[in-house]
Amino acid sequence: MPVLTVNNLAKDYGSLRALDGLDLTVERGQVFGLLGPNGSGKTTLLAILLDVIHASSGSYSWFDGTGGKHVRNRIGALLETPNFYPYLNADQNLSLVATIKGISNPSLDSLLELVQLKDRRKSPFKTYSLGMKQRLGLAGCLVGDPDVLILDEPTNGLDPEGMVEVRQVIQKIAAQGKTIILASHILDEVEKICSHVAIIKKGKLLATGAIGSILSSEPTVEAGAADMERLRQFLTTCFLVKKVSRADNRLILELHPGRTPAELNQLAFESGIVLDHLVLKRQSLEVEFLEITRK
Amino acid sequence: MNPLRLLKLEWSKFSPSGTFRVFAGLYAGSFALVVFLARSAGNNMTMTANGETSHPMAGILNYPNNWELLACIGSWMNLFVLGTLGVFMIAMEFSNRTLRQNVIFGLTRLEVAVSKLVWAVALAWAATLVYLLLAFGGEIADGQGPGLPPANCVSGFFVQALGYLFLGNLFGLLIRQTALATLGYLAYVVFLETACKWLFYFSVAKTRLLLFLPDQVLGALTPLPIPASVNHVINSSPYTRPLSITEAMLGALVYLALFAVLFCRKIIKSDL
Repeated sequence: MPVLTVNNLAKDYGSLRALDGLDLTVERGQVFGLLGPNGSGKTTLLAILLDVIHASSGSYSWFDGTGGKHVRNRIGALLETPNFYPYLNADQNLSLVATIKGISNPSLDSLLELVQLKDRRKSPFKTYSLGMKQRLGLAGCLVGDPDVLILDEPTNGLDPEGMVEVRQVIQKIAAQGKTIILASHILDEVEKICSHVAIIKKGKLLATGAIGSILSSEPTVEAGAADMERLRQFLTTCFLVKKVSRADNRLILELHPGRTPAELNQLAFESGIVLDHLVLKRQSLEVEFLEITRK
Repeated sequence: MNPLRLLKLEWSKFSPSGTFRVFAGLYAGSFALVVFLARSAGNNMTMTANGETSHPMAGILNYPNNWELLACIGSWMNLFVLGTLGVFMIAMEFSNRTLRQNVIFGLTRLEVAVSKLVWAVALAWAATLVYLLLAFGGEIADGQGPGLPPANCVSGFFVQALGYLFLGNLFGLLIRQTALATLGYLAYVVFLETACKWLFYFSVAKTRLLLFLPDQVLGALTPLPIPASVNHVINSSPYTRPLSITEAMLGALVYLALFAVLFCRKIIKSDL
């Protein structure tokens, strides 16, 4: 059963079309990444799904419309920067979230431990660093043990250590079988966490599917030689190579199916070119994303 | 939707807030202070005319006039302190983006609107309680047995407090920025409505309907304890004759319903 179905969703801000007829389905248990450059419509989409803004047209349904009137209590969400009452501390703010969700005895201890805020639980929210605010936002999402988590740029503003911690928390939650919808422009983050992905640009859905299906099945090869121009001329005419592109001081090649870097190395040597750099690389989401969004 | 849960939610939000506590203290404190000063001045005020000394304020503090005087003093507190608190309660949520966050956490838009209205009702009750305590307290201090308050004074006071809170809420919701919304509210109740009323009165039509503008109606719920001579002058023209308590109450109830509907509609329809 799909957890979320989005049909032809559109949102206009005056003459600007932020979402343009978006269709999307998220199944139970998926860790679903929403990828897109800044301003692509990711946050607008999530804000509509959370009823913070209204769609101009189209529709969406949670749990196939079977969630009943308390459907929102099954969803935990962090949209952009978390906004809590600045004069209230972590305990008080999370208790408010529990009241909103109709939970009488929330287990705040374990939540605060999970996001490592137990020792600052009595400090007012306004005294927190950006990373601490983000972690409290994550704890807020988890109040009531929701089935679905919506996370919009959850590692925003965190230092590298904080980013790793938040990713680990998300992976831990995903391992419990919960559905996670994660919007991010950090491709590495999505690649590490998500099982499925949708790529959005200018409010339009460009591609969607399992990460494996989005990534090209053919590996890429990074090559370099003392005479890069001669190498480039050789590769553009070489029958083993499907595509050549330049990245910094290296050439990125896509080989024809079944061809190997060893064959390429041998052929180059026989043509009088000695390669001083040859690395087999799996296609990264970053390369695929750039390719899709540039089309 | 459980109104008690929503009331608990609003209490948890606002009771620890320093600004809210200042407003609450200002309301009760300044109300009590003005009543104390009025009582001191009233008891000591004497007028000498033609060699005869009289106490013009003497009767005004006796039952049941004391209830009218206190309602009149309280009406200024309602207009300035409660109304501004009404603006703050909404505009603060917008400046902190917490109203939006409440919806993200799962509160429905209707619950958001109802929680604010329920909280305003609770605050209006609290304000009325301050009024009752000050009036009964004064009677006990004067050695009078506490008499039953006139029903129209208490109900009028409550409806007026609620009216200014709702009006403030509406200004907060429409303008959203705390300083601008507060300024807008105060400008409206202090001079904009009155200026519009007189402008219309002198340049368009002399009609008694002008007395049914929101602030005029809410103000008329607690009539000024005016000396009979002045009252005679005001009542001589049908256009300036104040609204009766019944007219004011009916008008205020219509406005309360209108403000509540507009408030809910705006919250439900707007992007947060």
